[in-house]
Amino acid sequence: MFDQIFFILSAVLTMGGALAVVFTRNLMHACVFLLAALFGVAGLYATLNADFLAATQLVVYAGGVVILMLFAIMLTGGVQSGFNKFGIEKIPGMGNGKTFTAAIVAVVVMCFVIFKLLRNAVLIAPKGEMVNESTVEKLGTLLVTDHVLAFELSSILLLGALIGAAVIARPRHIKEDV
Amino acid sequence: MNKTIVDYFAQFDEHQAFVAKASELMGFNAAPLITFIIFAAAAVIVLGALATVGGLGTYAERKISADIQMRQGPNRVGPFGILQFLADGVKMMMKEDIIPRHADKLTFNIAPLLCMLGVMATFAVLPFSSGFTMTDLDVGIFYLIGVSSLVGVGIFLGGYSSNSKWSMLGGMRGASQIISYEVPVTLSILAIVILAGGLSFGAVVDAQGAWPHQWYLFHNPFTFIGFIVLFIGILAETNRAPFDLPEAESELVSGYHTEFTGMRFGFFALAEYMEVFVVCGVASALFLGGYNVPFGLGDGTFLIEKLNVPAIHAKGIGQLLQVGSFVSKTLALYYVVIWIRWTLPRLRVDHLMTLCWKYLTPIALFNLVGCAFWMYFFNGESIWHLLGQLGGSGGGH
Repeated sequence: MFDQIFFILSAVLTMGGALAVVFTRNLMHACVFLLAALFGVAGLYATLNADFLAATQLVVYAGGVVILMLFAIMLTGGVQSGFNKFGIEKIPGMGNGKTFTAAIVAVVVMCFVIFKLLRNAVLIAPKGEMVNESTVEKLGTLLVTDHVLAFELSSILLLGALIGAAVIARPRHIKEDV
Repeated sequence: MNKTIVDYFAQFDEHQAFVAKASELMGFNAAPLITFIIFAAAAVIVLGALATVGGLGTYAERKISADIQMRQGPNRVGPFGILQFLADGVKMMMKEDIIPRHADKLTFNIAPLLCMLGVMATFAVLPFSSGFTMTDLDVGIFYLIGVSSLVGVGIFLGGYSSNSKWSMLGGMRGASQIISYEVPVTLSILAIVILAGGLSFGAVVDAQGAWPHQWYLFHNPFTFIGFIVLFIGILAETNRAPFDLPEAESELVSGYHTEFTGMRFGFFALAEYMEVFVVCGVASALFLGGYNVPFGLGDGTFLIEKLNVPAIHAKGIGQLLQVGSFVSKTLALYYVVIWIRWTLPRLRVDHLMTLCWKYLTPIALFNLVGCAFWMYFFNGESIWHLLGQLGGSGGGH
């Protein structure tokens, strides 16, 4: 009962946020709606009992990515008008009737193909009971035993990114012409 | 799985009897309804109590600053002026609600709400006592770090949407400060998580004891430094002096909330004071023993065994004592936060970033590695335990 209510709320938040991101014309607003959509996704994870994943979603996206996006949009002046000084739209429409029709047909065909491929997986998958226990300890154990290589590789990647950012942001040596 | 406040009630026979009786009366299984009512009541109590704490925080701030500066402070409304915060609240609600014409309406409207939301969502995991925690999530600490970052988004959007230079600068400073200081704060918290071996507040608090030598603050030298790093970090994260650059009134008028009037401004102010309470609560739960009470009073064993008090009353008294222990430690830290604000001058922006990235972050990393080594070599025993062993084997001093 509660799970279903929570699932519906999260799904509505995710879908509504995602649609609003697409349909708004203001980049800053799009970023705010994206935040709502990401919170909805965190809620979906929580309904699937992936509590650690949900919290990670909050930390990484709400705390890091969205603020970075807001900064980037603000520093690049993202809320200028969509029309240039001649009144012509800067972002042209992405197609006409023909291309849209072709795209829809292609999507339908691809859907049939994909569902045909996935049919067995969907049919065989048993509808198991939801295991109502925490995932944190298992995740922690797996990260430093079975998946330690992936863990270390991703940390090396992040270290590289950190050092790269520091190198790029380092103040250049300024020649003083005395 | 996650412990909640309902689990605390469910351990008593009286609760089971009540649920059975209610089911009989209403003709259906009343357990979900009663669970919902318990959660709703707890949410109302926690929100009401912490909103009052936030309001009284403004009063305390003014009274303590007056004391430090040898003034009287507010003393007209109510005894000792204690109702001043209610008068302020009424004043804010009566004010005209102004939205600047060139403000970004949507973000201007939701920025104060995001701040409030980020703070209020953290109440769900705040460990007031072993029973009276709304829900003791297995990822409680992680969750708290995640949702409290909404405050940063709210501050940034508040500054951006006002369409004013001062607000803009304040919002930028606020957001950059919050995401910078999250690094040393999270690293210091991580050191404690390593020692306690769990991400839930319950696990961390239960791993400590009631007496100061059992606290993580005095567990080993690394945690002691970690506490200082954490405390500086939370001062900066809540935008309190000496790190209140986002609202530095001498240079930025009033920072990110310059253009906000009435209750919108009130939400920012209330969110700030409640966030100070929350982060002080986190610091006291992680380092100062949290809700622990000595002599087994907390779980009621003392009262049940020695005085033959019924379990439900003994545990109830224990919960009250635990809430008292947690809240008094938190309010002591709250006092220190206010005290620091009225004692130290404000930092400069570049000093602020230098402090964070060149001092606090390396120290926090060093602490983290130190705690990991401590766990490896000494099995996580506290320094007092090791000293005691040393004295015992050496024949005593």
